[in-house]
Amino acid sequence: MVFQQLASGEPLVHNGTVHAPDIEMALLNGRDVFVRRPTAHALWVTPVECIFTRTREELADGRWLAGVQASSGAAEAWHVFGKLTQQGQLEQLGQVQAASAEEAMKLAIETYTQHEIWVWWVFPVAQTLSSQPEEAAALFSFSETHDFKNQAYYPVITLMREIRNKKQAGGKRG
Amino acid sequence: MDSKLNASLAEYLTALGDDELVLAQRDAEWCGHAPILEEDIAFANLAVDELGHARTWYELAAELLSEDRGRFPDHLAYFRDAAEWRCVQLVTLPRGDWAFTLLRRYFFDVLEVLRLEGLKSSGYAPLAEAAAKIYNEELYHVRHGKAWLPRLGRGTEESHARMQAALTQLWPYTAQMFLPLPGEAPLVAAGIAPETAGLEAGWWAAIEAALAAADLRAPEKFIPVTRPRSQQTEHLMGLLSEMQMLARANPQARW
Amino acid sequence: MYGASVDEVKQDGAEDPQKLAEFEARIARGEKIEPGDWMPADYRKQLIRMISQHAHSEIVGMLPEGAWITRAPSLKRKLILLAKVQDEAGHGQYLYHAAETLGISREEMVDMLLTGAAKYSNIFNYPTLNWADIGTIGWLVDGAAIMNQTMLARCSYGPYSRAMVRICMEENFHKKQGQEQVILLSQGTPEQRKMMQDAITRWWWPTLMMFGPHDTDSPNSPLLVRWGIKTRSNDELRQDFVNQMAPDLMALGLTLPDPDLKYNEASGNWEFGEIDWDEFWRVVKGDGPLNADRMAARRKAHEDGQWVREALAAYAEKQQALN
Repeated sequence: MVFQQLASGEPLVHNGTVHAPDIEMALLNGRDVFVRRPTAHALWVTPVECIFTRTREELADGRWLAGVQASSGAAEAWHVFGKLTQQGQLEQLGQVQAASAEEAMKLAIETYTQHEIWVWWVFPVAQTLSSQPEEAAALFSFSETHDFKNQAYYPVITLMREIRNKKQAGGKRG
Repeated sequence: MDSKLNASLAEYLTALGDDELVLAQRDAEWCGHAPILEEDIAFANLAVDELGHARTWYELAAELLSEDRGRFPDHLAYFRDAAEWRCVQLVTLPRGDWAFTLLRRYFFDVLEVLRLEGLKSSGYAPLAEAAAKIYNEELYHVRHGKAWLPRLGRGTEESHARMQAALTQLWPYTAQMFLPLPGEAPLVAAGIAPETAGLEAGWWAAIEAALAAADLRAPEKFIPVTRPRSQQTEHLMGLLSEMQMLARANPQARW
Repeated sequence: MYGASVDEVKQDGAEDPQKLAEFEARIARGEKIEPGDWMPADYRKQLIRMISQHAHSEIVGMLPEGAWITRAPSLKRKLILLAKVQDEAGHGQYLYHAAETLGISREEMVDMLLTGAAKYSNIFNYPTLNWADIGTIGWLVDGAAIMNQTMLARCSYGPYSRAMVRICMEENFHKKQGQEQVILLSQGTPEQRKMMQDAITRWWWPTLMMFGPHDTDSPNSPLLVRWGIKTRSNDELRQDFVNQMAPDLMALGLTLPDPDLKYNEASGNWEFGEIDWDEFWRVVKGDGPLNADRMAARRKAHEDGQWVREALAAYAEKQQALN
């Protein structure tokens, strides 16, 4: 799974998935697939199988939450992502400390109560590879040779108008 | 800069642009045919970057020669015959398999990064500025290659054999990369460009480490290619006839 | 790029009626269905079929345009085209992912494409014979695709809808690039105008076919509409497309190969002649100008890449064993 941060201070947003044989290649592939436009400030990747997910529908009757057992193992940090709107992507909410995915999910639901969340994801921080600030230049900066990716490069509406005007003017003269 | 130095720098930049454009043309042949979908996208990124770099170098050359910045790059790309090109032979070789493609890129990109480090402090400000931007993109290219080399070199028996075969085939051509570029001597004296021969030690150190990490060995016996850049391969002629066909059939047209 | 799908839908009808009612109520409220949520088996099946067809279309669609990257007549056009074909790979990538959330793997889908079990848009079985085809594909073919995609960006399945939003943004860009090129060629030298007219003549009808069969011959539509996957019919979209394109193309001095094309003041529509449906079904069934070539090219890329994929997997395994 690939997450992208567009600018410093903004939450990371889920982008999609890349196929990769390992997590280092996943980060490079994530960059190549998702940072073509717009650019990014940071990129994270985590294996799909590390993501534990629950939807609002799955949680609706409260049975799943009630069944979560406290686990006795050592706690670790988990990233929490949620889908806040119908149309939106999942975005970063914060972190919780928990000993299992179920516990992390339960804690997340109890912690981030200020929004209506449609989909929840938790995944271990330790299983996430993040781009480092010192790599940002090499990963995310593009020279101005990419000017052709600018909309204003193709003024089709103006061009069509000019051609129509010219034709009309020509028609009147004839 | 006097007009003589201007002409030397234009010649030098045209050769740099030729390297980038011919390599981009070869790499673009993979578009739609790469071994993995993600890599198809990644590789097109690299080719787009190289094309952009070629255009940048040609534009700088246009300014130095008081030519039109918008049209002169296309003139260089589309209306010169093979004998007028100054790229190294390495980039003209047919695309080969994925091992050959990656290794060639890596050889080229490592040298690019070293050269750009020098050009970043060029005494000619527009060149220094352009080099700083291109440098970041080339850093990524090197990282991409560095990730791939050990994966293929140490992957399966077949991938190792293919990498080793590509290395043996490519190795003689690397010698030509360290010959002085056209116009280079006065530019080095004026602090405008680094001496190409001086980049070889750094290149070799980086490549030696990368080959070791990939369990590959450079051949010991080989005949290095040390012909000047003015002597071109037949491969370049084929590449240009395809690339230039349409533009030359309609020389008055704007695209 | 993408065309409408043509396969038939069969509803099994063995779903729990209460769950089905809740599901349909959610769709009626405009909620997005997400992986993990309950959904009818048919909904899942239809989505997998549509999304994977769409993904395959993007990947096969790289071939006709990709053939011109090395021949593009200026550095600017070469950059634009390379980045565009790359975007199509990106779209295929997003879409395979969206389909994977429904429980099918990319490998299974690719397999279905290569064995001929899965379809892709007919349009990519036509050849690109001159440079003006590139602008035409960008403006007309992508323009037609956008009509479908804008609708699908609002569809009820979250991952598909989100992929479509991103794809639409990029396709609109391609459309602009294509239009700009068509404008330039249509106002260019006599040779350029000739190649432009030739391209429009060849691509006009296949583009109209991209919207799929008439509504009366499209048995899947009602169900897909009820489940919020499709919100507009093939014929509606096709008419909108002709209304949008015909006046612009004619303003450029281009002739559309349809003697029946005329503006109806009363309806505000550009009426057009009947599509050659025999040709349409013939290409669907594999007898298009380039069906066999396209599949041969995909198979070759897949087979040539086999050793690379094996090497990556072997390396990852070895690294894991070390850790």
